[in-house]
Amino acid sequence: MRKCILLVEDDQALGAQVVERLRNAGYDSIWWKEGRRMAPGQWPNVDLVVLDLMLPGAYGLDMLKDLRTESDVPVLVLSARLDTADKVRALKLGADDYMTKPFWPEELLERVAARLRRPIMSRTDCMELGVLRVDRSRREVTVQGQLITLSKLEFDVLLVLAERPGMAVTRKIITDRALDAENEASERHLDVYISRLRKKLGADVVIETVWGIGYRLQLDKTQ
Amino acid sequence: MKLRARLALTAVATLCPVVVALLYYDALVQHGVAHERLVGFTKAHFENAQAECEADPGHWGDRHDPPPPRDHRFPPQHGPHPPPPGVFSSNAGPPRPPFNGPPPRAEPARLFVYDESFHSSNPNAPALSPALVEAIAGNPEAQPSFVWPSSRVETLLRMPWVSRSCAYVLARGTTDPSWGSVLPENPMWLAPVFAVLVAVLAAVGPVVERIRRLTEAVARSAAHGYRTDVAEKLHESTDEIGALANAFDAASRQVREALAEKEAREKSLRDFVSNTTHDVMVPLSVLQGHLMTLREQTVGDASVVISAMTEAHYLGSLIHNLAVAARIESTHVTLHRTAVNLEELIRRVVARHRPVAKQLEVSLDYAVPDEPVEISADVTLIEQAISNVTHNAVRYNHPGGHVVLLLECRGEDGFLLRIADDGPGIEPVQLTRLVERGYRGDQARTRAPDGQGLGLHIAFRAAELHGYDMKLGPSEFGGLEVSFEGLKR
Repeated sequence: MRKCILLVEDDQALGAQVVERLRNAGYDSIWWKEGRRMAPGQWPNVDLVVLDLMLPGAYGLDMLKDLRTESDVPVLVLSARLDTADKVRALKLGADDYMTKPFWPEELLERVAARLRRPIMSRTDCMELGVLRVDRSRREVTVQGQLITLSKLEFDVLLVLAERPGMAVTRKIITDRALDAENEASERHLDVYISRLRKKLGADVVIETVWGIGYRLQLDKTQ
Repeated sequence: MKLRARLALTAVATLCPVVVALLYYDALVQHGVAHERLVGFTKAHFENAQAECEADPGHWGDRHDPPPPRDHRFPPQHGPHPPPPGVFSSNAGPPRPPFNGPPPRAEPARLFVYDESFHSSNPNAPALSPALVEAIAGNPEAQPSFVWPSSRVETLLRMPWVSRSCAYVLARGTTDPSWGSVLPENPMWLAPVFAVLVAVLAAVGPVVERIRRLTEAVARSAAHGYRTDVAEKLHESTDEIGALANAFDAASRQVREALAEKEAREKSLRDFVSNTTHDVMVPLSVLQGHLMTLREQTVGDASVVISAMTEAHYLGSLIHNLAVAARIESTHVTLHRTAVNLEELIRRVVARHRPVAKQLEVSLDYAVPDEPVEISADVTLIEQAISNVTHNAVRYNHPGGHVVLLLECRGEDGFLLRIADDGPGIEPVQLTRLVERGYRGDQARTRAPDGQGLGLHIAFRAAELHGYDMKLGPSEFGGLEVSFEGLKR
């Protein structure tokens, strides 16, 4: 099912561009070219709102206030002003994120995707990351349903990465959390565990080396 | 010098010469009157006295001296008896009753006869001063110059006849306080003068006190930016200090109006900048969108489009920096501190620069600790500071290069953010210069040759305003590392 995004942007050229980019990225969109004060129940049913602040008709923050009385839909605020007060007020009124103009289409799409992504329940015992499934309580790992046998330390290293999918994790954090932090050799042994993990998990699960930081469990391929 | 001390000094400095001048004038007048009387007394002796004088010049005029020492201080009383010869007394003025009031102090007059060559056969006669001898030549009389405060009165007279042995007579007497005195004899008259002095100093006390209060009130009003009036109590009085307080109020009202006007002007300027920024940012976003489309459609060499993209990106940063610079260059910067999630801030910064970094083939990544790091900061300033440093690290890297943002916790309530790259880095000498320029900021507005310019200056200033320690140094990867270290709260 395609996600639907409400774009509130008064500039004709920019609005058209954003709508086009959203469509190319696989989203449906509704485009309002002016601010509107909506009564409860009148809001269109969308998955995300991209809201400009300086609008003819109604001020963006007032619209946000109206919206928040009835909906928790993610709101990404677009602001051209570098004004701390604006941002703080937007976040206080319940905006999830803000973006300052000018922006690259890629940046907007990434932020939209990040907000629409299904929140990963890292606190639950079982994490499903695409083909990869990590069961914390049973200490079991499956890839495409196939059980993978991991050593205790290999599992702990994978768990640290899986708890923060898509994010770079420093070598220090992995060592501290999964390996014996007291042992100076641990950090050097990390590379060995990673290489073993990569071999055991196969090509469908990508553990990326991040320069200057450590490792990352790539989300895009696993999802 | 304090007002009261100055007043006392001025009063004393004025009073003393006046009192001295008065005393001098009094002595001068007394001397004049005594002199006139002495001359009159002497001339009274001249009648038919030539023969008598020539007979015994050594004793003429001196012979009737009253016996010393008791009586000589008392001039004879006026009365039915003529005054004894040789005693200098007043014929003018009211008679003085005996033993009524203070006794007169004039000494009896004495006459000494001199011959033509100014010698006297009287053994008591004083020698005549050359000045006096010179003064009598061609004149009927001469007197030595007035010496203050001496009470002696002397006059040298030429005899009204021609005689060798009795040619001149020196009359000698003293002044008397009852003759011609302009000041009361009793020095009690000085008491009111000094009483006035004391009264003035006493009266100036409350005045000084009120001036002090007024000073405090003005200082208080100034401390509040002249938003409050000068103390109201001072207004009630209608004297000069009340007028002064009113004048201060009028001045502070003008200052207030000027400040309000300045603030209004600044606000309209800020609004203008803000609106202009908005007006520029929208087309710039559109431009970036088009550039990206162009880039996607370019097959083969895309260097020109990528170059255009980096310039458009730089333009956006520059406008943000100019807007921020306008805010942080004033002496009183108000930080709009709120709770800022550093992880989200870093994520925003990375998302902003990643599209361009990707085109430049520079990898841009970040890492944050497990627990969220929340700091109290002005989100716009700190985000701009970190964005500037990140932008520089991407911009001055080479294809295949890397930039990382590493956030760590430092102890209970500290944080450390490092932005490291493996770019060409900066020579230590240049680094020092860059840091200095970054701190100074006056030359920071130039773009080349190291090009870090305004952005770096803003980063330095933002860190300084927040009390963070910003350091530049070589990174462990061979490039540059910029670090921000500070307290979360």
